[in-house]
Amino acid sequence: MMESSETSAQAGETVTVSLTVNGEPRQLQVTPNVVLLDALRDDLRLTGTKKGCDHGQCGACTVHVDGKAVNSCLRLAVMCEGRHVTTVEGLARDGQLHPVQRAFLEHDAYQCGYCTPGQMMSAAALLEDERIAADDASVREAMSGNLCRCGAYKNILEAIQDARRDVTAGTGEGA
Amino acid sequence: MDTQVIGHRTPRVDGENKLTGRADYTTDWYVEDMLHGYPVPASIAHGTLEALDIEPVLAMPGVVAVYHHGNFPRLYRSPSSQAHQDQVSEVRLPFEDERIHYDGQYVAMVVAERYEQARAAAQALQARYRQDDGARPGLLYTREDGRPLESEGGSRGDPESAYERAPVKIDHVYGIAPESHMQMEMHATLAQWRDGRLIVHESSQGVIYQQKAMARIFDLPEEQVEVISHYIGSGFGNKLFMWPHAVAVAAAARELGRPVKAVLPRQQDMESGGNRPASRQRLRLAADEQGRLQSMRHDSTTETSFVHPYVDSVGSPTLSLYACDNAAISQHLLEVNHGTPCPMRAPGEVSGIYALECAMDELAIALDMDPLELRRRNYNHEDPAKGLPWSSKHLDTCYDSAARRFGWERRDSAVGSMTEGDEILGWGMATSSWFAGRQPCMARVELRADGTVLAACGTQDIGTGTYTVVAQTVAELTGVPLDRVEVRLGESSLPAGPLSGGSMATATTLPAVAAAVRAAIDELKEVATDEDAPFTGADPDGLTFRDGALVDAQGKRVTFDELLTGQKLGSVNGDGQAAPGDEQQQYSFRSFGAHFVEVRWDPAITRLRVSRVVSSIDIGRAVNPATARNQVEGAIVMGMGMGLFEKLDYDPRDARLINNNYSDYIVTSHADMPDIDVELLDNPDYAFNEFGARGVGEIGLTGIAPAIANAVYHATGKRIRELPITIDKLLDI
Amino acid sequence: MRSFAYRTAEDISQAVTTHGADDHVAYVAGGTTLLDLVKLDVMRPSQLVDINRLPLSEVETLDDGRLRIGATVTNTDLAHHPEVKARYPLLSQALLSGASTQLRNMATTAGNVMQRTRCPYYRDASAACNRREPGSGCDAMHGINRMHAVLGVSDACIATHPSDMCVAMAAIGATLTLEGPEGVREMAFNDFHRLPGEQPEKEHELRPGELITHVTLDTPVEGAGAHYLKLRDRASYEFALASAGAVVAVEDGMIREARLALGGVATKPWRAHEAEQALHDQPASIETFEMAAEAALQDAVPHEHNAFKIPLARQAIVRALREACKDAENANPQR
Repeated sequence: MMESSETSAQAGETVTVSLTVNGEPRQLQVTPNVVLLDALRDDLRLTGTKKGCDHGQCGACTVHVDGKAVNSCLRLAVMCEGRHVTTVEGLARDGQLHPVQRAFLEHDAYQCGYCTPGQMMSAAALLEDERIAADDASVREAMSGNLCRCGAYKNILEAIQDARRDVTAGTGEGA
Repeated sequence: MDTQVIGHRTPRVDGENKLTGRADYTTDWYVEDMLHGYPVPASIAHGTLEALDIEPVLAMPGVVAVYHHGNFPRLYRSPSSQAHQDQVSEVRLPFEDERIHYDGQYVAMVVAERYEQARAAAQALQARYRQDDGARPGLLYTREDGRPLESEGGSRGDPESAYERAPVKIDHVYGIAPESHMQMEMHATLAQWRDGRLIVHESSQGVIYQQKAMARIFDLPEEQVEVISHYIGSGFGNKLFMWPHAVAVAAAARELGRPVKAVLPRQQDMESGGNRPASRQRLRLAADEQGRLQSMRHDSTTETSFVHPYVDSVGSPTLSLYACDNAAISQHLLEVNHGTPCPMRAPGEVSGIYALECAMDELAIALDMDPLELRRRNYNHEDPAKGLPWSSKHLDTCYDSAARRFGWERRDSAVGSMTEGDEILGWGMATSSWFAGRQPCMARVELRADGTVLAACGTQDIGTGTYTVVAQTVAELTGVPLDRVEVRLGESSLPAGPLSGGSMATATTLPAVAAAVRAAIDELKEVATDEDAPFTGADPDGLTFRDGALVDAQGKRVTFDELLTGQKLGSVNGDGQAAPGDEQQQYSFRSFGAHFVEVRWDPAITRLRVSRVVSSIDIGRAVNPATARNQVEGAIVMGMGMGLFEKLDYDPRDARLINNNYSDYIVTSHADMPDIDVELLDNPDYAFNEFGARGVGEIGLTGIAPAIANAVYHATGKRIRELPITIDKLLDI
Repeated sequence: MRSFAYRTAEDISQAVTTHGADDHVAYVAGGTTLLDLVKLDVMRPSQLVDINRLPLSEVETLDDGRLRIGATVTNTDLAHHPEVKARYPLLSQALLSGASTQLRNMATTAGNVMQRTRCPYYRDASAACNRREPGSGCDAMHGINRMHAVLGVSDACIATHPSDMCVAMAAIGATLTLEGPEGVREMAFNDFHRLPGEQPEKEHELRPGELITHVTLDTPVEGAGAHYLKLRDRASYEFALASAGAVVAVEDGMIREARLALGGVATKPWRAHEAEQALHDQPASIETFEMAAEAALQDAVPHEHNAFKIPLARQAIVRALREACKDAENANPQR
């Protein structure tokens, strides 16, 4: 983790937060009560990350912070000084879809698509996490923080297990 | 019809947009100078707003305006006519008066420069209420029935005396808790006014309807309103017709001369953005000793709000599903102090089929008969409600196939008899059904000089795959590959298309698109046979169009892009329209299917899980088997929620909504997933339309909750007649 | 979410100084409870002190065999820590049964000790709630109280403590290290959370400005088996209706030592001492487990919608004990 300077802001005061988003250094000008999710969307216009509940109850806003899947609706932007954030816009590399994206397309692992960025960010992190077993039941449990009201879970599971073959074969690289 | 693209699985044409974050949902729109609106919800359900302390809020950082009853511009109500397509979800305008009719009704809307500023100001706004006693609680907490609805009644034969005469009968009351759509994308509106013209981005299942309703409310010519909805984070019915937030946002944008966007917080979306109303249903069924139905009576009560009379028509399937000479339905409507209900996936029928299919299970038990056998003995070949033959019914095949794949013949009918370790297996089944409807529709197709084809229609893709099935239709009829077909939907300026609802969009849209393709090809033939054209002087009717080219009898072949380029034309256009016709007088149209469910019940820890679902569904032709199957699988997931988890909890003391969030309102999670085996029969229904497709969005949901309830009875011996079947109802206290 | 100030702290003393023992200042680490409640307008801090940079992210085994967990160790890292999995499987199971992958990646050990109730009336700033607003009344008492507590309730409050992690810690036994303006002190985990009594707003024994810096687990019961069972409506991502965490050591078919704690049914993480006494030196049998379950719930007080939790909690206890005994057998086949 990058060392960074102290942050101090009065209520309502706008401060600069420097962070890395999808590999690019970015700066945010935000007050302390701005949430990472809203900063990504409203300020950086990275609108792929979605708001479904704003309370950590649905998973639509899942992004990676320093490689870990988190709910961006429950993290203040000012808490992200020096952090590395990856959103769905950073999942594809060099114009190539991430194996999880390819598998979601192939398996029709979505319907309306609104929870999909969050699903894929969780899936991409899961496939890189050796602590989570590869069997279907473990994947289902690990993915339960991403609700899909369209109910595409069957195809989501199939897509993740399919992408696993690509990721473990080394053709893909986790975000 | 021998097809190359239709009926074949293909990835969604809009898939990559959804997978990369590029898909532009309403919430994703930002325009220059845009302000953020944040509605302020009432914290009482019954009473009067007495005061709002506006001044301190106006002084807060970034706050531009606060709208409320005292300063909201005068607007007109929409007539809310289905026939005129200006239907709205709630006829009452926002801030119309100071009466509060339900928890979460808007009392104000703050508009600010930043989202955080609008939210902080909305939370800081102090409101004073006079709360009246006697808030009417939901249907589940009262014995009141409300007023009878003549329009929802129907009968044949003499069900009352047939019931009295019959040897075997059951008489039970079933209840369903109010449910929330919980679509992932909350209601959202971005409104902007340009030179007197209103442009609205809305997460909408019906851009044409919203255009017309907005025109009525703001007293504008329809062409001065444009409604755009390219991607919808689904709707399940609560985005069919416009809600008051959209009116508030559009009015604020007009008053301020700046674009305004509001995305409802989830809490508000659940309080004031629609719900499936609770229902109470009495089923009286009677049969002879052989299980032949002698009498069916289905008397229902549903609830609505005090500001909009929404009727969830629950009884109608009972008149059509089985052969029975004596049948009657009736319905009452009760106003309660809840937010206004609206259609929710398979509206009405899913609730009615729940009660009917549980009652059939109870009748089978009373007859000591296998529940599947009871359905078979009452199979019908025509619609008894209309006296017309079914256009295409293969429910018997559904029963056979699903029962075989499920292993139904191994079922031991004795309650609690099938054990595995700590667990008891319960097996239940139910019939599934949804009427097949079609609306008039227009579409436009352009063959373009760059070799691409554009198809456009003012309908929407709510995640069901409309973009893809339209592209498949164009590709099928032109031979142009899918990657050269562009589809535009979700704009009210496009040729008028249908609501994305009632499983009607595919059956309605594709014939119009096909007509437009043919019109464009006819136009191309005219161009091709003009002077100085490749087929000058030829009879246009002698030319055929295949694989993207015109071909004459001699085998001369010119692709449409070569032709257009040579003629210095950018494109040729075809307008098409289609509507239901005489077939409606010859047949009755309905889809059927069967669900078989296994639950696992661990009585020592009161743990109930759905472990297996096997379904066979006949929807006519599945235009895209991948997206169609996904619809049914997803409906099963939602049906598990209806059966086991979902309930809007309104406090009966004051009618306030207690569980207005994704944590306390439980929907099915990934870990709840059973093994699901869905089969779609492929029996094109050409009487219905040229593609034989009847639609698939709703049907999968019908029958799941009763199949679960029936399986729960088989496992536990407990007949739970009020959904959802939660742990507390299964425990002996 | 209203306006507030924000400041990072680099070390513990700076954090404590910055906090200044001001009631309106809150420490923030994972933020999963705090920001949720600030958005609901239930908590209205004037300032947040970010403690994520404090050197409190380590898990270490002390010389006496106890395990010391830093305040900011995430639930995920704690659940998967090799020492936790090997020596404190109950804690690992409890952690992994809570919330979601993403929330566990954010939520911290000390934050989870400080987790707030999920009572919907507490979470609704316009409802009457003695815990949120002392003296305002309790809308849950005669309201929708299906999720509410049956143990440790008072006339002022029946809100359930929601944590799974804390149930495991209550059973295992632990010591909290607290640091504040008056220095460092230690407190037994089971003394930390308060029963609501007449003052439900006083949820714990933290003094103004104090920070939980570490949780140190007692040495594990030798040769014991463990099981955490969480019963709820859906299979994941939901709070418990009833949960039981059991640690049982069995010798020659007799229970040598048992630890039992309950979640989802009590106003604080609930160590079931009466049940433990009923188990001690008794045969490891279903009959014994049922007697223990009776003992654990003997003082339970139901309300209109939550009476089912009493038999449900008994069921959770019996099954958790059975599974813990099986686990003990598997771990120690010679006994």
